Amino acid sequence: MLRTAALTTASVIVALAIWQGLSTYLFNPFLVPPPLRVIATAVPMILSGEIPRDVWISLTRVFVGFVSGCLAGMVCGVLLGRIRLLHELLDPAVELLRYLSPTAMIPIAVIWFGIGEMSKYFLIFWGSFFIVVVNTTAGVMRAPITRQRAAQCLGASQMRILVSVVVPSAAPYVVTGMRIAMASAFMSIIPAEILAADSGIGYLLEQSSMLLQTDRIFVALLTICVLGFAFDRLFQFLVARTLARYMSHIALT
Amino acid sequence: MIEVRQLGKVYGQTERYLALADVNLHVAAGEFVCLLGPSGCGKSTLLHLVAGFETPTTGQVLADGRPVRGPGRDRVMLFQDAGAALLPWQTVAENIGFALRARGIARQEWAERTDRALADVDLLAHRGKFPSQLSGGMRQRLQIARALAVEPKVLLMDEPFGALDAITRRRMHVVLLDIWQRTRQTILFVTHDIAEALILADRICIMSVGPGSAISHDIVVGIDRPRDLADPAFAIKAREIEAELMPDLAPAMPRSA
Ligand SMILES: Nc1ncnc2c1ncn2[C@@H]1O[C@H](COP(=O)(O)OP(=O)(O)OP(=O)(O)O)[C@@H](O)[C@H]1O
Ligand SMILES: [Mg+2]
Repeated sequence: MLRTAALTTASVIVALAIWQGLSTYLFNPFLVPPPLRVIATAVPMILSGEIPRDVWISLTRVFVGFVSGCLAGMVCGVLLGRIRLLHELLDPAVELLRYLSPTAMIPIAVIWFGIGEMSKYFLIFWGSFFIVVVNTTAGVMRAPITRQRAAQCLGASQMRILVSVVVPSAAPYVVTGMRIAMASAFMSIIPAEILAADSGIGYLLEQSSMLLQTDRIFVALLTICVLGFAFDRLFQFLVARTLARYMSHIALT
Repeated sequence: MIEVRQLGKVYGQTERYLALADVNLHVAAGEFVCLLGPSGCGKSTLLHLVAGFETPTTGQVLADGRPVRGPGRDRVMLFQDAGAALLPWQTVAENIGFALRARGIARQEWAERTDRALADVDLLAHRGKFPSQLSGGMRQRLQIARALAVEPKVLLMDEPFGALDAITRRRMHVVLLDIWQRTRQTILFVTHDIAEALILADRICIMSVGPGSAISHDIVVGIDRPRDLADPAFAIKAREIEAELMPDLAPAMPRSA
């Protein structure tokens, strides 16, 4: 644990040092501003509240879209994985639609929902939903038949089997799906805000680009990296804290 | 208790495979019957039909006089791979609790029933462990305890000790016989080990090789319990069964059980 933290810190420091060296001696420092200058730009942006405000706005969008996408995805995934007829009817549609990335949906989302919050919620929802549906369906369909039959013999109702056997068996798949969906949400919020917003980190990125402020662009890019990384770690921490007993059993079957 | 009448089972729609043809079997209440036969002869198929996991192609299965239409609480199946049948995210005691809740048993009774079932299979000291922290034999004992806790009339056991080492298996035989002698449950037990069948069963039903297998011999063991492997009657019975199973080999091969 401590060792991992130390290595991660070391890896970040080495990367920053190399970047500093390269931007100072090799690249044009205007095109690739060195980290020290990026930090010098970032500090006043953070203190003035500009970055926290944009971060808050973007995070809210990611949160609303991601949570609603995951919930809808889990419900639909359980139904698709459990009801064969529904699977046969809807699986082809899911398989086709999931190739439409959130970015591809931006133009139509703007027409449908305008450039207010709703279009961003929709785009993040769109990206999370299909990933979670596909994973949940797979997990539910792979719930070991022996485990279900054993429960059935003992007298468990279909509902009890679904809730206490099938869904917990699918948990590792669902969690993996959510983790991929969260990465996708952090990736899709930026294009969505660049093309269809007047606030958020993506908007900051786009404004800075128009004004050729490369140092501010790098501040925005770094912010995205830190956010995505931090939330993935948070997610894993919460999963380990609350779902550990459902996650470690794959080896047994 | 269990009545199997002219049972036939065909698997597959396009590539049809006749697994069972005309199986007849009667297991009386409180009787311990072993199904013995070579691999692939349809023992698991027969047990799944009795459990109600599969539907017969022809014939029927009666449990307590009523046709079997699906899994029922009166017949609990014990699987060879206990790890696959247990809930790995629940502790030993919670696994028993799951069965009690599924059966709709009042919550006040849970603690006492759980303790009793775990004591029967000598797992009380391990009640807080997860299945992944148990040995293979302990997992199988937990599966048995879980079935005992809900007191089914019939236990269907599909090679439950097949994956265990010889010593653990002997110990499990003692545990199972002990439980059976106290509860007098009806047991239908699948095995392909002649000695195991002789130690456990009142009656041994031998199944013929598939396709289209049926019960070819029905042998009453008739050795007094507790049974002793060194008893000459045991060796004679074993020889007799071997002769039925492998007529080509039996005379040449003296048998030590
Ligand atoms: N779901 C299935 N679909 C098609 N064929 C099957 C199916 N299940 C079993 N069979 C076939 O039925 C026959 C009997 O299988 P079964 O599993 O009942 O044998 P078994 O006697 O239990 O063997 P073993 O001792 O190896 O467990 C085999 O030939 C097998 O290939
Ligand atoms: Mg079998």
